[in-house]
Amino acid sequence: MPLVRTERLTKSFGALTAVNEVTFEVEEGSLHSVIGPNGAGKTTFFNLLTGQHVPTSGRILFDGHDITGTPPHRIAHLGIARSFQRTSIFPVLSILDNVWLAAFARQASWRGLAWRPADRYPELTRRALDVLGEVGLGEKAGLPAREISHGEQRQLELAIALAATPRLLLLDEPAAGLSPDETQKMVTLVRTLKGRYTIVLIEHKIDVVMSMSDRISVMHFGSVIAEGTPDEIRRNADVRRAYLGGIVAP
Amino acid sequence: MKPWVAILAAVVLLPVFVRHAIATEIWIFAIFGLGLNLLMGYTGLLSFGQATFFGSAAYVAGYLLKYYGINLFLALGIGVVVGAASAALVGYLCVQRSGLYFIMLTFALNQMFFFTAYQWTTVTGGEDGMPGIPRPSVLGLDIHGPLAYYATVAALFLLSLWVMQRIVESPLGKILKAIRENELRAEALGFDVPRMKLVAFVVGGAFSGLAGVLYAMLFGIVPLEAIGFVFSGNVVFATLIGGSGSLYGPVIGSFVFIWLSESVSAMWARWPLLLGVAFVIVVLFFRGGVVEAWARFWTWRAARRAPDRVRIDAPR
Repeated sequence: MPLVRTERLTKSFGALTAVNEVTFEVEEGSLHSVIGPNGAGKTTFFNLLTGQHVPTSGRILFDGHDITGTPPHRIAHLGIARSFQRTSIFPVLSILDNVWLAAFARQASWRGLAWRPADRYPELTRRALDVLGEVGLGEKAGLPAREISHGEQRQLELAIALAATPRLLLLDEPAAGLSPDETQKMVTLVRTLKGRYTIVLIEHKIDVVMSMSDRISVMHFGSVIAEGTPDEIRRNADVRRAYLGGIVAP
Repeated sequence: MKPWVAILAAVVLLPVFVRHAIATEIWIFAIFGLGLNLLMGYTGLLSFGQATFFGSAAYVAGYLLKYYGINLFLALGIGVVVGAASAALVGYLCVQRSGLYFIMLTFALNQMFFFTAYQWTTVTGGEDGMPGIPRPSVLGLDIHGPLAYYATVAALFLLSLWVMQRIVESPLGKILKAIRENELRAEALGFDVPRMKLVAFVVGGAFSGLAGVLYAMLFGIVPLEAIGFVFSGNVVFATLIGGSGSLYGPVIGSFVFIWLSESVSAMWARWPLLLGVAFVIVVLFFRGGVVEAWARFWTWRAARRAPDRVRIDAPR
């Protein structure tokens, strides 16, 4: 059974149909990439999965349950975590607190919410530090998040998503705006996550996507125009047209 | 630890230098500010209607004190509950909106409560206020004397400060700051943002309610102003001057505000001008109020001293 499945999922903003009847499945434990030109509706699709937008029509099934229209904070509790394309962190809080909050949110019980000192949750602090170590920010845990470089903020972005111990991890262009060096580091990092998490990855760098995805969906003007293994996608004529259509003369 | 020593010293020394009523008012206003600070400083919600909770608690507890002679603990408890309950009502409506609409809602609801109190003269006394509020004795101790009442209020202030410290250092404190910093991400992490804002409102309202009852017993009257928008503005003002978003900010702000308004006003009728200047300076240069100015002064001094030390060490 797939971990997540959408059925004819559609989102319209007025006359614009950003996501158009997308039917999509992700198998547990796989890395499924979503590619497509800018404005194809990839991020909107993520926003539907995480509840930030309510779909105009269609259904979302997570682990067999219909979660269509569930608000974002509940979706997070089901175990769906995401990273944002445009870095979305808590700038004034320390790096540790950024990640600690994600770990706290996912706890089954919020006992001591308003009374127990936050530094007396040793298991959460350890979890947060582990995750920071994993993304390579272990030594900067005490710094305010606004004081680190853009590349490091992207790592933090990923760490916040990981700290929630997600069952489904949605990564929205984790390497957005990174230098070639930093991109390489990020790719290596995502590769280490493969197999340990069920991942849906939005990425523009085609070689990266081809080399690590189990399956790829290609979006164009809100619709999925192709889906398959990297090899199948490489051979697909529609995909080439979508990517090159504006450039190649008829 | 150091701030607590300073505050304890201030609690002991204040009545020596300042009239007891003013000293008492400073700590009452500080409790009021602590509640607002949780909303404004920590959660980033500028509430212009804190007097709603302050005044409602003062009227309800004042009425029961006056006509039913309830004891002190009950009066304080009722104040806290009324403050929290009115904040829950107002907060529930306000957290549905954000930004300017939020601020206007807190203000408009405050006006609604104000005009209710203004019109309902049989209970509240309208413009004349509700006089004749007694100070019941507690556990056989008479707190009628100004100093005894000061001690009571100071003890309750210290308790409030301790409770607020626990709250802001708890996970809730971090969650509220996270909401202030980035609401969207806080929600994506799994925090029910409107619910958390409501919690901040209720806690803030409880503190305001406590302050309201103490205020009524201090002056023996609930004046109509206690539920008016000027009062709501004053506490925002005082908290900003002291430093919003830091635990001790509203305490310092209350001291500056009450002390200025009570002592300078006797000498100079145009004293609000001074407050205005202070406010402009804070907004332009020290967004974190006195607390930030203080911290910056010490880093500035440390930076100035550091080169000296190098010079002294150099010849060796």
